[in-house]
Amino acid sequence: MNQTPPRAWSESPDRLRWRAARSRRHVLRMLRAGGAGHLGGAMSCVDLVSSLYFHTLRHDPTQPKAPLRDRFILSAGHKCLAQYAVLAEAGYFDLDLLDSYGHLGTPLPGHPDMTKLPGVEANTGSLGHGLSIGLGMALGLRADGQGGRVWVLLGDGELPEGSNWEAATAARHHRVDNLTALVDVNGLQISGRVADVMSTEPLTERWAGFGWDAITIDGHDVDQILAALEQAGQANGRPTVILAHTVKAKGVSFAEDKVEYHYWKTKPDLLAQAEAEIDAAISALEEALA
Amino acid sequence: MTAPLSDPRKVFGATVSQLAETRPEVVVLSTDSGKSSGFGDFAARHRERYFELGIMEQGAMGVASGLATTGRVPVFCAIAPFVTVRPYEMLRNDVGYMRQNVKVVGRNSGVTYSDLGATHHSLEDFAITRMIPGLTVLAPVDPAEIEAACVAMLDHPGPVYMRIGNEPIPDLAPAQPFVIGRGRTLRPGSDVTVVTTGSIAGSALAAAELLAERGLAAEVLGLGTVWPLDEDLIIESARRTGRIVTVEEHYVVGGLGSMVRELSAERLGIPVAKLGLPHGYSTSGPYHQLLAHYGLDPAGLASSIQAFLESPLPY
Repeated sequence: MNQTPPRAWSESPDRLRWRAARSRRHVLRMLRAGGAGHLGGAMSCVDLVSSLYFHTLRHDPTQPKAPLRDRFILSAGHKCLAQYAVLAEAGYFDLDLLDSYGHLGTPLPGHPDMTKLPGVEANTGSLGHGLSIGLGMALGLRADGQGGRVWVLLGDGELPEGSNWEAATAARHHRVDNLTALVDVNGLQISGRVADVMSTEPLTERWAGFGWDAITIDGHDVDQILAALEQAGQANGRPTVILAHTVKAKGVSFAEDKVEYHYWKTKPDLLAQAEAEIDAAISALEEALA
Repeated sequence: MTAPLSDPRKVFGATVSQLAETRPEVVVLSTDSGKSSGFGDFAARHRERYFELGIMEQGAMGVASGLATTGRVPVFCAIAPFVTVRPYEMLRNDVGYMRQNVKVVGRNSGVTYSDLGATHHSLEDFAITRMIPGLTVLAPVDPAEIEAACVAMLDHPGPVYMRIGNEPIPDLAPAQPFVIGRGRTLRPGSDVTVVTTGSIAGSALAAAELLAERGLAAEVLGLGTVWPLDEDLIIESARRTGRIVTVEEHYVVGGLGSMVRELSAERLGIPVAKLGLPHGYSTSGPYHQLLAHYGLDPAGLASSIQAFLESPLPY
């Protein structure tokens, strides 16, 4: 057993923006393969997920089960297109596997399955499970004493699930400061605006009331994301929540902030337009990198 | 002569605590339930391996799963309905679907929390836990088997649900190693096969004594493992006796009786009478009075079994 934690990738902000754009393109590739999927939430959280994997998370695609790796859990499992995209971009599996999305028996199901795909840490999909699982992982890694950290991404529509607040209570009680929740605050859920369906505002005060350190950022601004991830790593006896304000379907102009793109059955012309937009973004970022 | 009685919770807690001394991977989760589960001494001796989570059984199931992913073997024990029906989806997804090595123990099971009423009775736990693929369901019949089952449970590399009561119970048979999936013959007989499990097994054995006085030889099979069902043991016995009665502290629908009827329908074609609690909201009262109320005391069981044996076929 390898008892050295893998390294963080620590890529530059420009490169992180490029990684996120490429990941968005992978999301569209899966939608083209499968014909439908949860576009909106994948695009709203992908900057957060890719920044984690390519900057902060200590992980190694060649050793997906390295015992002392940091863990990322996608509590909002329906955003799995983002996680699959980032895992593929990081090299956990061949990019060609993305083309199996939506096909019978694919290792990329509509909600992630850790027994089918390397890099997936929990079988999420039913909402409100990830933070409790993450808390258990954080308690175990803390006892291992090698600085292991756990990051759990939740959707804002998921927050009324009571089990989230069970975990939030226990994490603070046990002073679990190696656990960070990232809330993808895109403001939309399948029925409409989160504010109309079931508001959990005021978010900052709510999490602070549970004893968590709350950081509010623009969840598409890589510099703000990196600053928040850095701040979350402090050992102060308190868990941290990053409240990342985002735009649903970010990067696909016709779909941004529109509830009907929560789950999208693709249309050929619109999918081609989305692909062209993301390709143009990648080209621009590659020019910046060059 | 009366056999000494033991509190199943204390036997369970002491056994797991003793085993944990040489198994550093074992951790204990409590939802304000650890001390009542027999882990008071463990909590004091191993603070770093004892996680008090307060009253939050849904979250606790997820925490158990997460701890298991880091190589721990979590043992999570609380009142049976609060580790089964309450966090059922977490048990299914976080433990079952994620194939995590978590040991969930429901104590005060059946109607053994007799005075506290239907919220605290667990009469559907066999039915719902057996529906989780890969989850082993145990219900040891006496204190010695609880001890042996704890060893087997911790040795087993996968999720387990174990049900124990709280009413003091006697040893029914000599101690022997516990093999998951294997029951044993508690009493030989030739007229009827009585299949029982868990804390009601003593009542079934006492009923067999009463039947013997009436010239009826009941063979009593004790199933310390409810699921997977020990089909071979039941089939071998039932082919000799020609009739089966199931006795369980569980609804007569969905539990051991239903499993044995499935087995008989598929492989035996032998009539099965199901004795347990009716599918309703159980009443409360002193434990032994409650058992008698539902005909699950020795006299009630003996009467039902005799009536079954005297009834014409098809039953």
